[in-house]
Amino acid sequence: MSPLDRRTFLTRSTALLGAVGAGGVAGGAAAAARAAEIQQQPGDVNAEVGAAASATDLVTQQPFSGVHQNGILNPPPAQATFVALDSFAPDRASLMQALRVLSTRAQALTVGGPIPLLEIDAPPADSGTLGPDNAPDALTVTIGLGASLFDGRYGLGGQRPRELTQMPTFPVDQLDPAQSHGDLLLQICAQHRDTVVHTLRELLRSVRGTFQQRWSIDGFASAGRGPTPKNNPRNLFGFRDGTANPPTTDASLMNQLVWAGAGEPGWAAGGTYQVVRIIRMHVEFWDRVALREQQTMIGRARDTGAPLGGTTEFEDPRYDLDPHGQRIPLDAHIRLANPRTSTTTNQRILRRGFNYHRGFDHAGQLDQGLVFVAFNQSPSRQFVTIQERLNAEPMVDYITPVGGGYFFVPPGAQGAEFVGSGLFA
Amino acid sequence: MLVIGVALIVVLILGGQTPAASTTTARAAAQAAYAPPPLATYDERSPHVASALNVYATQGAVRGAASAPSSTLPPVSPGAFAAPVAAYLAYSGRVLGVMEGQISSLKTALASGDRAQSQRTWLAAYASYLRLGGVYLEGQLATLNQAIDGTPGGLAGGVTSPRFSGLHRIEYGLWTGQPPTALEPWATRLGADVRRLRAMMPKVQISPLDYATRAHEILEDAVRDLLSGTDVPWSGAGVVGTNAGLVATTEIVNTLAPVLNVREGVLATVRSDLSGLRTTLESIARAHGGQLPTDAGLSQMQSEELDASTGQALEGLAQVPGALETTAAATPQIPQSAVKLDP
Repeated sequence: MSPLDRRTFLTRSTALLGAVGAGGVAGGAAAAARAAEIQQQPGDVNAEVGAAASATDLVTQQPFSGVHQNGILNPPPAQATFVALDSFAPDRASLMQALRVLSTRAQALTVGGPIPLLEIDAPPADSGTLGPDNAPDALTVTIGLGASLFDGRYGLGGQRPRELTQMPTFPVDQLDPAQSHGDLLLQICAQHRDTVVHTLRELLRSVRGTFQQRWSIDGFASAGRGPTPKNNPRNLFGFRDGTANPPTTDASLMNQLVWAGAGEPGWAAGGTYQVVRIIRMHVEFWDRVALREQQTMIGRARDTGAPLGGTTEFEDPRYDLDPHGQRIPLDAHIRLANPRTSTTTNQRILRRGFNYHRGFDHAGQLDQGLVFVAFNQSPSRQFVTIQERLNAEPMVDYITPVGGGYFFVPPGAQGAEFVGSGLFA
Repeated sequence: MLVIGVALIVVLILGGQTPAASTTTARAAAQAAYAPPPLATYDERSPHVASALNVYATQGAVRGAASAPSSTLPPVSPGAFAAPVAAYLAYSGRVLGVMEGQISSLKTALASGDRAQSQRTWLAAYASYLRLGGVYLEGQLATLNQAIDGTPGGLAGGVTSPRFSGLHRIEYGLWTGQPPTALEPWATRLGADVRRLRAMMPKVQISPLDYATRAHEILEDAVRDLLSGTDVPWSGAGVVGTNAGLVATTEIVNTLAPVLNVREGVLATVRSDLSGLRTTLESIARAHGGQLPTDAGLSQMQSEELDASTGQALEGLAQVPGALETTAAATPQIPQSAVKLDP
């Protein structure tokens, strides 16, 4: 057999690719057409494994631009990856350029569409793992900045958001430096894992040499299993999580609890503080605890999510009628986290966490837990105050926070702006 | 037989033995020589698993079919815990007495600058502390426990925190190349803290609930904090610590035997599971020349078997708190007239 002539091979492939490329016009429309095609082929085995249902999700777009960044108020989709990056940009101009590239690439990915065609002898513009036409799949990319970015390297010290520090060590923490902090945080969320993985790969590629991965963790949301669409999904302790979240549709409440502004540097208005905590849950241990004890630790019934003594998830726990904790112990998680008094109303945070599973630890135990994510206007008034109340909760025996960090999520990019452009104005 | 087994393990630890040197050749030899002991049949090994099968067989997965079954046994009187707790406190005093002697030896070894001898005596003292089965009590005891056995994880500044002291401060120094002589003041302070703890022991109050949960929490902690390497990153003393936790658990289960013996066969289950863990640890020690290895010195099969045996023991022990339930008040309900829905 004669050896394949590489040049001939490439020439033949060009013709083939050209044909494919010509077909791949107008990304969103093509994706929608393909979705319809899948739905019209009930006999196709690929269409029968849930592809029809996914096709609708695949064409869903979440805007990248806006007053605020996305990925905060919109309902969390099924999949997420969090990646902390450290900056190796040699100077301020390079940092600015890399941030611009991140936003540009992220925006294109959230819109979706056909992959640009390059010279056949060049590496392709996109890894192609989603095919020739990227479907948006409700993708959001949320970019956060760590306190370390505001050190002396880029002359940003004076621009540091007022409360942005490195995440402190709380008494129950066993923080692993290799899983903590970082100059930047990318939060990538989409309905499907392949979209998240593709986005991560493309974004890292666009800033290679400038932003290097420090740590990352993949999360997933439990499926909405009802009984109503409003019921919150469960965490890996089996309890509903997020029940007491403030309603994100209440814009004035979001201005009081989530969006930063007063007292912050001008560029930061409309941003928010993001707290990420990788909280290992010792699930084997938890599974050996009696249901009664599990419920009194949390303060809710595992099955319904109702506060103890109640019947439905969205019911006020009525601590006023239970001052001595006979119904819901005074150190129950929900009671310490949100005592529901007039003085604690402005301490509420917006949680948007994901479950994680990443195999087994050194001792053969499941490495599972919660990627705790909270957005808040003022960590000192909100997250830290709550966390300090939780230091003494009985549940601490069953969890170990091992990583994460504090980040400031700049306001959204509009027009010619990019996320963080206000820093360089 | 059980008592002899416990005595053997006590000797193993009190003998001040050290994890085998984890050289490549020693590890290869250990792996070649190691043959896992034959397993009992599934049902015999796992009576609690068998009972779970029964639950699913009778209740099935049919929605609404499962009503919460309640124990037919009358609750245990809180007074029944007085003698077990007193026996445990006396045991703790004895263990701390032994530990004080070991800390003296540690100080001598540190003063002489002999790192290997210091590591051996440190390990013996640490195992003694773990044979207490955890001093996770409130107030002054918690403060003392932090000073004696606290880890740097929760401290601002970690290993550089001035509040990082005690056993793990010395461990950190001994396994990271700090001069042994520089660690002597930490050992002096450790000795004083342990003396204070021993003086307080007779007056310690342990509630029936705390004592009943302690039976399973000691080994839970061993898995979470020791076998994972979290608490002993420098010495790798997770296996030695798990062994010490087994001794403490066995002691507590023995004190509870008169109460547990009439409770739904729990005592037999727990003793069978603890015996399985003991057998595993003994066979691992045999494969390493009679000494328990460091965590890193375990072969993959040894590591898996230790995790399996520990997990097995924990599933059995998880029945202890429930079996020792004293009283259970029903949760009060929110009156219908007071129900308020969130916005």
